Amino acid sequence: MLELVFTKILLFAIIGAVLTGFTCSLMGTFVVRMNLSSLGFAMSHAAFAGAALGIFLRKDPLIFALLFSIFVSLALGPLADKAKLKTDVIIGVIFSLSMAIGLLFLNMSPDTAMSSTALRILWGSVLGMTTADIMYLLIISVITIIFVMLFFKEINSILFDRKLARASGINDKPFYYLILFLTSVTVAFSLKLVGGLLVFALMINPTSSVYQFTYDMKKIILLSPIVGVISCLLGILMSFSFDLPTGSAIAIVCSAIFGVSVLVSPKRRKG
Amino acid sequence: MDKAIELHAVDTIYEGEKIPSLKNINLHVNKGEFIAIIGPNGAGKTTLLETINGLLESKKGKVIVLGKELNGDGNGIRKLVGYVPQDYSIDELTPFLVSDVVLMGRFGKIGLLKPITKNDKEIAKNMIDYLGISDLSHRPIGKLSGGQAQKVMIARALAKEPEILLMDEPFSNLDFEARKDVSEKLSHFHKSKQMTFVIVIHDIASIPKVCNRIIVMDAGKIIADGKKEDILKPELLEMGYKGIVC
Repeated sequence: MLELVFTKILLFAIIGAVLTGFTCSLMGTFVVRMNLSSLGFAMSHAAFAGAALGIFLRKDPLIFALLFSIFVSLALGPLADKAKLKTDVIIGVIFSLSMAIGLLFLNMSPDTAMSSTALRILWGSVLGMTTADIMYLLIISVITIIFVMLFFKEINSILFDRKLARASGINDKPFYYLILFLTSVTVAFSLKLVGGLLVFALMINPTSSVYQFTYDMKKIILLSPIVGVISCLLGILMSFSFDLPTGSAIAIVCSAIFGVSVLVSPKRRKG
Repeated sequence: MDKAIELHAVDTIYEGEKIPSLKNINLHVNKGEFIAIIGPNGAGKTTLLETINGLLESKKGKVIVLGKELNGDGNGIRKLVGYVPQDYSIDELTPFLVSDVVLMGRFGKIGLLKPITKNDKEIAKNMIDYLGISDLSHRPIGKLSGGQAQKVMIARALAKEPEILLMDEPFSNLDFEARKDVSEKLSHFHKSKQMTFVIVIHDIASIPKVCNRIIVMDAGKIIADGKKEDILKPELLEMGYKGIVC
């Protein structure tokens, strides 16, 4: 019986890791190329603050993480779009504000403050994956794949240059906001695996690693999710082997992959 | 004669600014015309092109392109209007290949949820060949020289097979030979397809021979508009067209 439970937990952890790695890294290709890193960073910390509010209210942290993350994407998207805010300002304000709000809510929840529940949303808890978590991740993965497949022309064009895409007759704004929206939902659903502080690493590092090997955006879109999945699986293996927090292990693995990619990148070879 | 472009008392103001970059512009361009816009830096030439294709929204007046008034985003019209941006700079690490960038020129025209066909790829390839950049086809766009990138942008705009082609200093990075070659190719394209061409140009010597009308701009206004032989008179050029409003 115990073995069966353990197998189920392990299976859920692996499926969760595959789905999280896939979706985060796929959305990461857009985030990196469109210079939305600061927005993604803001979203992941807003999701953390939202989850903390959920804990404080004794409600499902995921719902509040989702709401906060989506709110940030909807509020900051148009602001960043019009370039009224510098990326440093976005990071500075949202990061400090969301961390402050998050910690405030955790502090106001006496029985949970800095407890395992709180730490789980900060660093992730792959062993706590439920059927519902897997379903959410599966749904967002499928939606993201359908989005990319249906609108590959438009997305590719916008990733090259938004203004030129607009000049060629593509209505870029809905795609831009949809990318922000899907990024925020992905961030919120990924909290369970890597946690609010490290979800961003899973978005940026796999894409940045693949960037070191090709100039072909199609290949980057195809390979980044594969690197993301490998990072997550290796991270889980490392986490189980050395009894480390899963989020940290995944972030270490994908950072190491990035570091090696930079070192061996053919783009940096001279001659 | 059918009008390709009509601007009626148009003012364009950049966001956050108070002084219009274009002031009371009235312009009519017939279908099939090849016109050049000249003028000093900051005269409003680029603003005029981007007001015509709706990338910039006019704050006053009326812009009519191919019989349709530009309202809001103007995506429908931009599907029929090609655009070559000024001195397009591309980051060295940009992960796109030349062939993909040229093909992208057709994406707006192909439309949502419609697949890229063999014909689309064929047209893009033909334009790459036409501009003489076949050898660059599979190279990353960011690795090209300014002149090569400029040719790619022209190929991209032509691949769209637009009804109107707006070009913003398309020869600025080309050497003398390349300038002559591209100018002849554009002239040939214009003649064979009967397209409307509007070209912003700094160097008067580079104005293609086929160009039959010149517009002179200064300080956001059109200060002269007429046949090439009338406008490019040395005495008029010398006095900077002051007081000559056509």
